Amino acid sequence: MSLTQIRPVAQHQSPPPTPGRAKLWLHRFDNKTIPYVLISPFFILFAVFGIFPIIFNGVVAARNWRLDDPDRTGWAGAGNFTRLLQDEDFWNALGNTFGIFILSSVPQLLMALILASLLNRKLRATTWWRIGVLLPYLTPVVASTLVFSVFFNRDSGMANWFLSLVGFGQETPLDWRAEKWSSWIAIATMVNWKWIGYNALLYLSAMQTIPKDVYEAAAVDGAGPWRQLWQITVPMIQPVVVFTVILSTIGGLQLFNEPMMFDENPQSASGGSDHQFQTIAQLIYKVGWKDLDMGYAAAMSWALFLIILIVAGVNTLLTKRIGGDR
Amino acid sequence: MERLGRRGFLTVAAALAATLVVSGCSGEKLEGDSSNNKGAGAVTLKVNFWGDMGLDQLKAKYEAAHPNVKIVLNSGEYNAQHEDLQKKLIAGSGVPDISAVDEGFIIQFRSQADKFVNYLDKGGAEFESRYLPWKWKQSLSTDGKQIGLGTDVGGLAIAYRTDLFQKAGLPTDREAVSKLWTTWDDFINVGKRYTEKTGKKFVDSGTNMFNPVLAQQPAGFYNEQEQLTMDGGPKVAFDTSIKAIQAGISANLVSFQPGWDQGFKKDQFAVLPCPAWMLGHIQKTAPDQKGKWDIATVPGGGGNWGGSFWTVPAAGKNVDAAVDFVKWLVQPEQQIEVFKTVGNLPSQPALYKDPAVLNFKHEFMNNAPTGQIFASTAENLKPQFLGKKNGPTRVAVENVITRVQQGKLKPEDAWAEAVKEAEKVAKSAQN
Repeated sequence: MSLTQIRPVAQHQSPPPTPGRAKLWLHRFDNKTIPYVLISPFFILFAVFGIFPIIFNGVVAARNWRLDDPDRTGWAGAGNFTRLLQDEDFWNALGNTFGIFILSSVPQLLMALILASLLNRKLRATTWWRIGVLLPYLTPVVASTLVFSVFFNRDSGMANWFLSLVGFGQETPLDWRAEKWSSWIAIATMVNWKWIGYNALLYLSAMQTIPKDVYEAAAVDGAGPWRQLWQITVPMIQPVVVFTVILSTIGGLQLFNEPMMFDENPQSASGGSDHQFQTIAQLIYKVGWKDLDMGYAAAMSWALFLIILIVAGVNTLLTKRIGGDR
Repeated sequence: MERLGRRGFLTVAAALAATLVVSGCSGEKLEGDSSNNKGAGAVTLKVNFWGDMGLDQLKAKYEAAHPNVKIVLNSGEYNAQHEDLQKKLIAGSGVPDISAVDEGFIIQFRSQADKFVNYLDKGGAEFESRYLPWKWKQSLSTDGKQIGLGTDVGGLAIAYRTDLFQKAGLPTDREAVSKLWTTWDDFINVGKRYTEKTGKKFVDSGTNMFNPVLAQQPAGFYNEQEQLTMDGGPKVAFDTSIKAIQAGISANLVSFQPGWDQGFKKDQFAVLPCPAWMLGHIQKTAPDQKGKWDIATVPGGGGNWGGSFWTVPAAGKNVDAAVDFVKWLVQPEQQIEVFKTVGNLPSQPALYKDPAVLNFKHEFMNNAPTGQIFASTAENLKPQFLGKKNGPTRVAVENVITRVQQGKLKPEDAWAEAVKEAEKVAKSAQN
């Protein structure tokens, strides 16, 4: 159509017709309420399977409830919690848990950092390296723990075979499950093997957002790779470091699969003959399902929850301080 | 199709998907409904158990005789089945109609006797005289409710390697070997002779000496008032196992772990405390050792390791039909049938005189008359009261023995440690 055929718009235009009341209500419902309806399934499920059990657990923790003695019910108040403070099994398990946690998280995150900085360079077949590093994470926990359990066997395990190659433990092979230090190292190895790749990839993706000119400037000023790693890379990926520290804190304090499968008699859940590698989660399982003392187990799990909150908070404060002015 | 446009296409796709989901979800329910409506009084019984209890043939027989009963067999893993039963009992629903419970777990469940059907209320009192007395007592709750009818027992004998005995200059004929060790001290002495001659260990583990000896004592960890009594039976058993460890005859392995399976193949031990159900395991683990194993009687004469019971949870939907099926399962004909198919030893002593049991010869075990041997050990065992905390106390004391084996605890200090650990378990029951 040609320009001459455009007509000017009439000055008086009737206002658009107002929609009927039903349509208005529907429109408002669509805008304001539907969003909540759409996200409600998650919250309903979380309330049923997440919040309710936590509250119910708290109620059970304040009661006496033993499966093997149904007559002994009633309110215990803080009785279960005071019992916790004097229970040497609990403190032993707490010590074990912290020991294994430190042995597994610290080397794991450090090695993940180094691995990520190595992967950040120009390599051939980068995708293969990245997939390879992630493979341990993909294995089911029980399967990999069973294999490691055989690996650390006293008489026929490969770990002792390696040790014998360097001349250690020829006559009496090391019983990995017997001592605290050996069982902690074994379990920490299992956890590290599984999670280094995952953390390395997280760090790698964060490292790739760091502009290259920062490194070039540092190289000009004479900073070597080690210095570059600690003074440039780590502060600049600090949010991801905080994230991985929190995750590994929560996971490390809840270690359950590895100590259970490492035990020679998994059903006893005793964490070794002298409870040398019994973690808190394992102790909770043993008290609840083997000793059948549900009230006490619930109290212990609440104590674990509080401990994780405190430790995760402390860890977050510490790691936030490594960030420079971003 | 063109007229539908994108919106219409999406609607049709969504409708199709919804139909698939709805039909997929409701499939099972429809099937269940129709089978229940087959006829008046049609009943489906769900049976939870583990391994092979010879139920496949028995199920067909029972269903043929009772057309309105359908039996669903649910075999699972040993520990998982018991944990599942425990959880369903707490939940109060979803229980199977019949559940097999093993000797290791029966104490835990008999303390919750109100959640099970009491066989004495359903005409089960007549069964008491048929059973081995200690077997009947194991599933009897403290207030006299009978929650389990026993199906099989393990018995206990000593399996030994004839070829290794020959190399050590020991007799290999089973009568002669049984005479060698009528007491546990004799057993340890034979072990010392073997280890001195061959340099290899004799028995697989110290804990496997503790449990048989304890089972032979008149009193166990707890007396009938549920008080811990360590000085009687437990001390005798503990001293025997420590003596064996000090004599250096124990290979310090843990049963059913990969190291133990390897121990078979590497000749790391020459004898093995062996209940009836272990025979299958030996065959499976070391099939090339056929003919090299034989069975002798256990020192002390009597013994038992393992065995199961049939229980009926009270929350089940078809309690009376389930009780009828269990009563049928424990009849002599059915128990002999099970013995013939899977080798599980019945727990009713009258059956030990049945020719099927008496004349049975086990091919793998050098044609030993295993029916006779295990039956006599089961018969010779006296009933022993097992307290509520028997399981955890036993685990605690076994851990102390393991620590001595691992060299972490001196034998002289071991008994005090065992008493301390047992008292911890007993005390935790009081809180």
